[in-house]
Amino acid sequence: MNKTKVTKKTGKKILRFGVLVVLIVLLYVLGLAGLFSTNAMRILLNIALYVTLGTMWNLMSGFTGMTSLGQQAFIGIAGYTLCVITSTYNLPFWIGIVLGGLFSAILALLMSMVLFRMRGMYFAIATWVTAEALKTFFTSWKFVKMGAGMSVKARPYPGVSLIYVIALSLSIIAILVVYSLLKSKTGLGLNAMRDDADAASSVGVNIFRSRLLCFVVSGFFTGIAGAIFYLNRGSIFPSGGFGTEWTVAIVFIVIIGGIGTIEGPILGAIIYVALSEYLSKYPGYSMIILGFIAIVVIVALPYGIAGTIERKLNLTVFSTRRTLEG
Amino acid sequence: MAQQLINGILLGGVYALVGVGMTMIFGIVQLTNLAHGEFIILAAYLSSVISVGLGLSPLLTLIITVPLMFVIGYILQNVLINKLMERGSEPALLVTFGLSIIIQNALLLIFSADANRLIVSFQALSIPLGGMGRIPVLNLVVCLIGIATLFVLNLFLKKTYIGRSIRATSDDKVAAALMGVNVKQTYGIAMGLALATAAIAGTMVGMIYPFYPSTGSGYLIIAFGVVVIGGMGSITGTLVAGFIFGLAQVLGGSNYGLLIGYLVLIVMLAVRPQGLFAK
Repeated sequence: MNKTKVTKKTGKKILRFGVLVVLIVLLYVLGLAGLFSTNAMRILLNIALYVTLGTMWNLMSGFTGMTSLGQQAFIGIAGYTLCVITSTYNLPFWIGIVLGGLFSAILALLMSMVLFRMRGMYFAIATWVTAEALKTFFTSWKFVKMGAGMSVKARPYPGVSLIYVIALSLSIIAILVVYSLLKSKTGLGLNAMRDDADAASSVGVNIFRSRLLCFVVSGFFTGIAGAIFYLNRGSIFPSGGFGTEWTVAIVFIVIIGGIGTIEGPILGAIIYVALSEYLSKYPGYSMIILGFIAIVVIVALPYGIAGTIERKLNLTVFSTRRTLEG
Repeated sequence: MAQQLINGILLGGVYALVGVGMTMIFGIVQLTNLAHGEFIILAAYLSSVISVGLGLSPLLTLIITVPLMFVIGYILQNVLINKLMERGSEPALLVTFGLSIIIQNALLLIFSADANRLIVSFQALSIPLGGMGRIPVLNLVVCLIGIATLFVLNLFLKKTYIGRSIRATSDDKVAAALMGVNVKQTYGIAMGLALATAAIAGTMVGMIYPFYPSTGSGYLIIAFGVVVIGGMGSITGTLVAGFIFGLAQVLGGSNYGLLIGYLVLIVMLAVRPQGLFAK
């Protein structure tokens, strides 16, 4: 390999890394210094949460080939855990968030025992049915006040800037976890598995273990993001916490942004939150328009925005592709 | 108990009808149509509009809604889904997901979230069975229409040229194409037929239950249940699965009925995903 070419490439990498670090530091500093308006903070907070949710769905569907339509199962479980911990047991909210993530991870573990026997569409259906079953169960479970919903109790209630910082940190950790997971040996196996599960299995990729790892990681982070969302929202109902709307949003974000890329969910989350903010002026039409956009993108841009840029301009910030020079 | 069994069995006929369109598309086109529930509710609303507008009985609106839904299905398959299927099953799956969101929210916009219901003259009639309970006439009619639809569909697939070409495509698409079957055209007809059964199902469920724009996903899950329990593409299996699902739901009562249905579905998916009556 030509030496100057290598240094040029490394230089470009360092530049991109630098820009990224500056951006992240700015997002923290501006948030903590109170330079964002409450509204701006709320929007950025939502973007950060959707980045996490999208990244975790992408880990499953885009990199592992397990399309889940039931991520709301984790969001609802974690949201309810937060409410039960803070209002039934009067414990601090951060315990609720952590336990919410843990319960989601445990749910993922339990689901995997049944769901991992299925492939493709069956898996997608089963995740969705699980979420619907949980919604029905929570609607008639007395302990969580049935359909009446529950609220988060915290004294003093965390302000939006604190929740924003937590959400921002979560999204950065989520991206780093997925990125390093994909860069690891397990990641190579995951990609092989997505492209051809039988071939991957025959050359020694432990499909079950790799899938389980992704599913549990995805469940954990999706749960944490859900708990933070409901910490900001203040109350949860079975219809919302386990609502199909979550999957709609997540699928939209990853498809628009670009499935199977790290940048995709980030771009998609920004577009989704911006669009829903703009479309909130037209209640009723927003979901219809989002649905149309999603269909047009699936038909016209099969790789999403990030995927198309990557293919046309060969530009990536986080490349998970393996090249000879490393 | 006897009454519950009667209700469960009568419900089974409708559930089989709800699932049959889904099972056809699953078996023939190899597509999971996530908008199937929304198409059923769309048909129920069409039926309601036509029945109110023209002063017809909801049953007679089928003369209009069935061909209309057939055309919608045929166009949808030919314009959108056939092209996407060339890229694998996932893009098409996600497009039907998008369609379900669009239909659901469009219905919400036009008809609001209020409950709607199709009213027929024999609404409250029932046949007494001595000490064994009563057979509600409405549910009986609806169940019989469901079974009759499945019977006709089965006959169509077995006896006609188009039906045979649909089955041939479902068994081996390449071989069927080599024998002169236009595969894409066949898929279009299959989707049209599936939506035609959705039209009948929509009118039937609209007569026995109230419906809202958001009830579609509930029927989609029932359709899934029927598909999974009955096996892909098997019409006999669909009928038996409809009865199993209907009974499970009625015996569980209003609180746990749906939950029992879901559990049956998940257990079936895990233990025997090819269905009880797979080929």
